[in-house]
Amino acid sequence: MWVETRFLEETWFLRPKLLRRYGQTRLAAGYYGTGIMKTLLLGLGNDLITDDGAGIVAVQELREELKGLVDVDIEESSMSGMALLELFLDYDRAIILDAVHTNRHPPGSILEWSPEDLDRIISPSPHYAGLPEMLAVASELQLNFPEEIKIFGLEVVDPYTIGEGLSEVVREAIPALKQKVIEQLEKWRNEVA
Amino acid sequence: MSQKIVIDPITRLEGHGKIDIFLNDQGDVEKAYFQVPELRGFEKFAEGRPAEDMPQITPRICGVCPMAHHMASTRALDDLYKVDPPASAKKIREMVYSAFMIEDHALHFYFLGGPDFVVGPTAPKAERNILGVLGKVGLEVGKKVIGMRKELRELIVLAAGKVIHPVFGLPGGVAKPLKKEDQEKFIEGADNAVEFAEFSLQVFNDIVLKNKEYVKAIVSDTYTHKTYYMGLVDKNNKVNFYSGDIRMVDPNGKEFAKFAPRDYLEHVAEHVEPWSYIKFPFLKKVGWKGFIEGADSGIFAVAPLARLNAADGLATPKAREACDQYFKTLGGRPVHHTLANHWARLIELLYAAERMQELANDPDIIDPQPRTIPVNIPQEGIGVVEAPRGTLFHHYKTDNRGVIKKANLIVATQNNAARIAMSVDKAAKGLIKKGKVNDGLLNMVEMAFRAYDPCHGCGTHSLPGQMPLILRIYDNHGVMKHEIRRE
Repeated sequence: MWVETRFLEETWFLRPKLLRRYGQTRLAAGYYGTGIMKTLLLGLGNDLITDDGAGIVAVQELREELKGLVDVDIEESSMSGMALLELFLDYDRAIILDAVHTNRHPPGSILEWSPEDLDRIISPSPHYAGLPEMLAVASELQLNFPEEIKIFGLEVVDPYTIGEGLSEVVREAIPALKQKVIEQLEKWRNEVA
Repeated sequence: MSQKIVIDPITRLEGHGKIDIFLNDQGDVEKAYFQVPELRGFEKFAEGRPAEDMPQITPRICGVCPMAHHMASTRALDDLYKVDPPASAKKIREMVYSAFMIEDHALHFYFLGGPDFVVGPTAPKAERNILGVLGKVGLEVGKKVIGMRKELRELIVLAAGKVIHPVFGLPGGVAKPLKKEDQEKFIEGADNAVEFAEFSLQVFNDIVLKNKEYVKAIVSDTYTHKTYYMGLVDKNNKVNFYSGDIRMVDPNGKEFAKFAPRDYLEHVAEHVEPWSYIKFPFLKKVGWKGFIEGADSGIFAVAPLARLNAADGLATPKAREACDQYFKTLGGRPVHHTLANHWARLIELLYAAERMQELANDPDIIDPQPRTIPVNIPQEGIGVVEAPRGTLFHHYKTDNRGVIKKANLIVATQNNAARIAMSVDKAAKGLIKKGKVNDGLLNMVEMAFRAYDPCHGCGTHSLPGQMPLILRIYDNHGVMKHEIRRE
């Protein structure tokens, strides 16, 4: 599926086919007009702390695989909370990939959240000011912020040990995590279409 | 039976932290501990890697202050290869570093520390957050803060690559010259930053200094410790974030020592406590006497309060004036009031902005050759900078091919660790009496902690490089009774 999408920018000749595939309105608005819907794909974590880097590894691979997509910007960050705010400015949508360690799901499970699922009340968090607080600030200040945010968390084995590389079970789950991203991008495109 | 109150995690703190408070039979505080449950082991990780990779690896230690690690590491490589970068390279580095200091200090004042003072120490918990700050200072101010940080981060990207992964520091200089058009952007950004810093000091003046209760809290004994102070100074003993000698002043504000970064091991040693992973640095020549203050105890502090105490002032005009007002208001130097860190941080914000302005306007800054190629055989290198949270040491020993044999990092929060521990303990003892504990009091205990802007992401470096989670329970004599270890 991603093979089709990555040709959006590179291959003009495919556009008639893609127009049928994604719908004239979306593409007309997205690629030929000024109303392009920009998506931020953000990987969070630290790739020096083994599994904590799962989100980073996934977006690094996607950076190659989605090369040429003009409406998706791919970023990675080891920061958290309010320090991330600037990254989201001027995007219409955002997908966040992160390693999670809930101990309630088998390692390799992919968990999905929307901001509505997270507590919008400011709560004590190890990251002192998490996504809900950031969204609350953006809304209060009427910043140009993504209207839709999707969070995919990959349950990991060990986000504490120093070292490079992922646990095997986490490594094996990366393609599925990437697929979630592709599907979400598709879904958004189809919604507009 | 002693009771135990745990504030975990500390709200709005960078990284993970924990405070344990033990009450005695009367309900008074027996002892309060701050804990660092994070264990990282980056020093071991560094061994066997080329030293030249360190400016890229060390910023990844922690997402909070990547530029400070990048810069300390780059300066350690200058020393490792015994290469003196051209003036232009030093200026580019310091200018970019100043931009980083501004955005980091702004983040702390408005978003992390701001809720304590801007909203108020005794305000309900639900209001002591960023939204509360915005409610107090106004939405336009909020937009201004975010706009300023965005502009600075974009400038950093122009000169240094990504903010979280800077790539411009190389032994002997920087990776690329600054373009004329980028210099103009830096000039414009610096002008905006000076205005922003002056405005922020005005906010502090209006909201904090005009409120007698807040000022009373700042100068209260609960938040006061008489310790030694450390900071980098230039040749005129003025504060410098990027280079210089390390100056220590005693609790009376008198110079105790001044030394080149490469001599730090003659002056600083580290003490280990059974209840914490963090190693507590102290002044070797005074010695470790426990968690006590005064001239006989080797405990010292770093970060904004300490930097202003350790120097003879600031080198730029507006910041100098603000600094004079600070010492005048708080009773002269040195200032021992922990909460004054917030004010000192804003004065540094103004200094960093003015320094950025000076450097951006310097004709040297667009020199097309901002690097001296290193030719010497590496052996040992030490780099020290002032991170936003205090003095940061990077020390590498290598073989003659430049492969790391040993690395030692002393990070800012670690330098402050002993004083932070004392601050938490003293605040807890001063505020919690006869078992009376409420949300406001607990916040006031945490305020002692937050003033330092501590970050524990990279505060511990011990082996084995795994971060176990350990719960320790102490009785009212401080004896560990139970240990629960998560393997």
